Amino acid sequence: MTNRTFYKVGRRPWEVKGHPDGLQERKRTRVPFTRRHWLKWRDSHNPKNLQRERVLADKKPLWWAIALSLLVIVTPFLPNSMISTASIFCIYAAINVLWTLIVGTAGIFSLATLAVVGVAGYSAAAANVYLGVPWPFMLLIGPLVGFIAGAVLAAPSTRLDGLYYALLTMGVAEICRVFVVQLRALTTTNGAITQVDSFIPEAWFLQRPGLLLGFAGAFCLLLGALLVWRLVNSERLGLLLRASRGSREDESFCEAVGIDFRRARLQVFVISSAALGVVGAFYAMYYRSISPNIFSLDQLLLLFAMMVIGGLGRAEGAVLGAAIVTLIDKGMIELGPLRIILVAAIMLIVTIFAREGLTGARDQFRDFRKRKAGERRAHRTEKGGEAMPEEAVDVRDKQELYYRRFNKRLRDRLKPMITPELIAEHKADPLGHHSDALARVLNYFRRAEMVDKYVIMRLKDGEEAYRIMAVSGVRGMPPRVVDDKEYQALNDAYHAVFLLRVNDLLES
Amino acid sequence: MTDIRLFGYSDPLAAKAGEPVDFMISAEGTAEASIDIVRIVHGDYNPDGPGFIEEVIDTDLPSTLAVRRQYTQNGSYARVTDDKQLLANEGSFTVHAFIWPSRPGGTRQTIMGNWSVNDSKGYALGINPEGKLEFWVGDGEMVDQVTSDAPLIPKVWLLVAASFNHQTGEARLRQISVQNSWNSAIGPVAPIDHNSHVVETLRCAPRFADKDFLIAGANERNPERGDYVSMLYNGKLDRMGVVGRALSAQEIADLAVAVNSATTATPVAAPTNSIAYWDTTAGFTDTGIGNRIIDTGPHGLYAEGVNRPVRAMTGCNWRGRDDSFRLNPAQYGGISFHEDSLTDCGWTPLLSWTPSPSLKSGVYALRVTAGAKTDRIPVIVRPQTPRAKIAVQMSTFTYLAYANEHLSFDAQIAQAIVAHTPVISADDIEYNKLQEFGLSTYDHHSDGAGVCYSSWKRPIINIRPGYRMAGMTFPWALPADLSLLWWLEHAGFDYDLITDHDVHAEGAAALSPYKTVLNVTHPEYYSEQMLDATEQYLTTGGRMMYLGGNGYYWVTSTVADDPACIEVRKLDVGSRAWQAEPGEGYLASTGERSGLWRSRGRAPQKLVGLGFTAEGMDRSEPFERMPDSFHKRVAWIFEGIGDEELIGDFGLALGGAAGVELDRYDLALGTPPHTLLLAASCGHTDNYPLVSEEISYAFPGRGGSQDPQVRGDMIYFNTQANGAVFAAGSIAWSQALPCKGGDNNVATIMRNLLNAFIKDDPLPGSSYTGEEKAWR
Repeated sequence: MTNRTFYKVGRRPWEVKGHPDGLQERKRTRVPFTRRHWLKWRDSHNPKNLQRERVLADKKPLWWAIALSLLVIVTPFLPNSMISTASIFCIYAAINVLWTLIVGTAGIFSLATLAVVGVAGYSAAAANVYLGVPWPFMLLIGPLVGFIAGAVLAAPSTRLDGLYYALLTMGVAEICRVFVVQLRALTTTNGAITQVDSFIPEAWFLQRPGLLLGFAGAFCLLLGALLVWRLVNSERLGLLLRASRGSREDESFCEAVGIDFRRARLQVFVISSAALGVVGAFYAMYYRSISPNIFSLDQLLLLFAMMVIGGLGRAEGAVLGAAIVTLIDKGMIELGPLRIILVAAIMLIVTIFAREGLTGARDQFRDFRKRKAGERRAHRTEKGGEAMPEEAVDVRDKQELYYRRFNKRLRDRLKPMITPELIAEHKADPLGHHSDALARVLNYFRRAEMVDKYVIMRLKDGEEAYRIMAVSGVRGMPPRVVDDKEYQALNDAYHAVFLLRVNDLLES
Repeated sequence: MTDIRLFGYSDPLAAKAGEPVDFMISAEGTAEASIDIVRIVHGDYNPDGPGFIEEVIDTDLPSTLAVRRQYTQNGSYARVTDDKQLLANEGSFTVHAFIWPSRPGGTRQTIMGNWSVNDSKGYALGINPEGKLEFWVGDGEMVDQVTSDAPLIPKVWLLVAASFNHQTGEARLRQISVQNSWNSAIGPVAPIDHNSHVVETLRCAPRFADKDFLIAGANERNPERGDYVSMLYNGKLDRMGVVGRALSAQEIADLAVAVNSATTATPVAAPTNSIAYWDTTAGFTDTGIGNRIIDTGPHGLYAEGVNRPVRAMTGCNWRGRDDSFRLNPAQYGGISFHEDSLTDCGWTPLLSWTPSPSLKSGVYALRVTAGAKTDRIPVIVRPQTPRAKIAVQMSTFTYLAYANEHLSFDAQIAQAIVAHTPVISADDIEYNKLQEFGLSTYDHHSDGAGVCYSSWKRPIINIRPGYRMAGMTFPWALPADLSLLWWLEHAGFDYDLITDHDVHAEGAAALSPYKTVLNVTHPEYYSEQMLDATEQYLTTGGRMMYLGGNGYYWVTSTVADDPACIEVRKLDVGSRAWQAEPGEGYLASTGERSGLWRSRGRAPQKLVGLGFTAEGMDRSEPFERMPDSFHKRVAWIFEGIGDEELIGDFGLALGGAAGVELDRYDLALGTPPHTLLLAASCGHTDNYPLVSEEISYAFPGRGGSQDPQVRGDMIYFNTQANGAVFAAGSIAWSQALPCKGGDNNVATIMRNLLNAFIKDDPLPGSSYTGEEKAWR
């Protein structure tokens, strides 16, 4: 035997698992007004000891709850500047989550996100300042304007593809900025609207209670954005769009089965825009003013950096990215321009090493580990040879492991029997009285498993014309054609199958 | 490949002249087909024989026929007759059943309910694609469900129940293990907790969709096809019911306890307020049980099985002591359902043909042609009254047993058994791809259970004349038997055809009008009635020519209310494609133990002197005369044959008259002691191993080159009243007849025998009973 190393396999479990008793009644409760359960518990039988185990199949709600409650608990104890950083983080995270809906879920590459926020913010602020609309109504005007802006912007998205649409939306943002800056009425404030009324009393503005109230509002805003995300992405609209995502073929498939994914995309775009409108109104109230800065390119790129760092297309990515970038950009103000370089560096590193941002790192690591395990396995085992301990854990029927050993040794004994004389013997009479060696070889061939087992096909009833095929081994799945050679006599076909099998044997 | 598809079947498969035969046809890609009736003269394309021969018969049938697509309902289930809609259940209710799921997971399965897939209305208890028990309800707007925690382990008995409280919307789903040491696939030492108990408040209540209550299926509709049953269940079900209120947790638990004390005298009582209680143990008689599942509840809402759910199976309380429902029906409540069962396509007849009483008895076929596609739907025509002196008993039981076998595609071991590579045809691929026309008793259901029912009410590819069975590469059963018919006609012998079904139904009366009766190549599946008839025929002067291999082998019967359907269970010994589960070896159709006739004291040797000994499909060998053949009692059979002439060193089945499946003379198994061993085959390859029922201890060298029991025998003996048996124990025998233009030494023996057998005179040689003074 070769001097192979057998590593011990086996591991203690790390995950906390429940051990339910099946005779105990278990009452399950649901999220109000839905059929969903609060947590996705799953029972299974541990294949190692057959014990019933209960695990949380989807742990995301757990992580969300921990992270968000940490934020709520810790923030009141922070210094003033950090409280406002936390608030800004919440606002940006909310914008990002909604943007993710547009880019990720709807698959529309729009860069007019901040433009929508800005337009809605300006409209709400103008209504408050110039028309005297009380501040609570700003939270209605914002989404209304956002809705209209979204509808206007959505129209060209069906006409223009990818990059061109992105350029168009960037243009729209720039036009908004130029328009606001050149407004004669606002020249005194450099295009900003100030003195906006707010949910934060004027006396508290920039004071600790005001900051805390602002944070509370911003946090609610983030929760609202996450709710919109959940309702859009995980419900009907998101499911429709998920079917069409991926490739052109998926889109064609969707069209064929009657899924109007274009309509669904526009709906997501408009819903998200309306929600961004709320953010716009909130933004104007939070700062008690709104400036053309919101339309600027550097703001947009900062937002973009958040998405890239966190991971595109996931809510947790949008939030994590916002947290990192805001912490650097607003929390490390003393670093000066260096912090922008830092953000850029992180962005670069993430794009180079992570496939789907930081939140995709876990899956990426798992894939990496799986690939490594596969490589190791391929390195340590020979094809068709005996299974190593690490492979055996994946084989349910342990008898298969023995068959592998047995068949390997059987093949090793049969291979030397394949001689030109043996092949000549078979050719002379495939169905004859055979020598012991040929009989053994043939019996090995005939007992092979069903998957890809050779058969002969008679091309037409009553005619001597044959072709070689291989059956699937799966009920209802037709056999495949092995090659296009035709044989005029059945014995030739028998012999051709024999040669194919000899070839397979010697190659193994 | 052509786009036109044609499929069809005849009902009955065998008819008496003067009685109508219905043809069911399904066509795709054409609305019209041309039709005519042909008589099949020979059905083997092999160039060594006469080839494929058919002749068109004049009939008054139209030359074209409007055809259409007809759909097939696969899978077994039971439909409850509930005219008063008592099971609509728009209030509080409970459904409960004992289940032994054989294939949980993958697709959704329904245990029972009135669920309507298209309407999303009704309720059902079933198994979700994840393999967990689920109870779901729908009101047309919304569907809601409660799912069990514990994954279902295949083939373990459980009580499952779901109760629904209409006032609170609360649904309770329980699953309680009733596994014992005997009844399940794994025993109690595997530490699995099978129990689960979940309570949830549902957001909607079931609304009645005006669809039937089904056991093991759900209602679905397709605009093309109409109503059909989908989401079929795989596995066994035992005592189940519906209660008109929400049972409490304890009441549900009590159901699991009650069943263990059930006896025939005191069956389980239905819970109070039951709307229906299907007591699957009710209705057993000594001769089996039918398709109807009896409701012992107040309303008698019986359920009628479709596609033959398999009854007489061990139930949730089976304890291994009683191995037949006849001993203890209370432990035989199991009914097996399979998603791929098929015993009746149920197609609409498109044509009816009444063979004219003057028509020659023979194998006929409706030839349906559309474009390049031709299908021949065979029908065996028996004369109105016996006309010839010779009867050929067509082995219709065997034809059904092998109907649409999938061995070459499904059975790993098939190539090793037949010892060569199968030769498939385009039609084989088509049938296998469709998976629509059911399985043979050589196949397994998708959950691994053997197939015990087969019927002619479906298109059957391998009874098509000209069809060569893929695994064998030569015709098998009906197409092979045509070689015997061709030769009889060629040699000028007039014959009538009768079938296994005729002998089964009429007994010896079907045989007695004939001077001699011939068995065909493979009379493997026999009923008690058929054995009795043959025995009675032989004891009253009948003359049998047993010209086959592996005959009178499996205990088989037709189903009581449907002669189209046969039942067989394979167990214990014999060349068996599957093995019945412990305790499930008795025929639900008759109550008798299935398996081999030899295991029940009726080895075929006791009737025709020979019994199964070996099979192989690589090559056939000739017979060689044995010394007995020179005795004057039988020497007349060999007139025209040389003393050491090889008999049948040719043939359409692997080039010899002795091959494929072989039968042997054995005094120990009941061959009559005065039997003469006329000839035997020699030199079979090791691909002819001795059959398993002959092997008590396994040791090497049981193949043809080492074991003297691997051979085909030719024997002869006289019976009472001038009766006699000639037997040539080889499937290949009849297929040697057409070689060399039909004039060869196998034919010579047949001619010598038939010329003697059809005469009223005492048989030649029968007077040589004196002691031989052989002093030479």
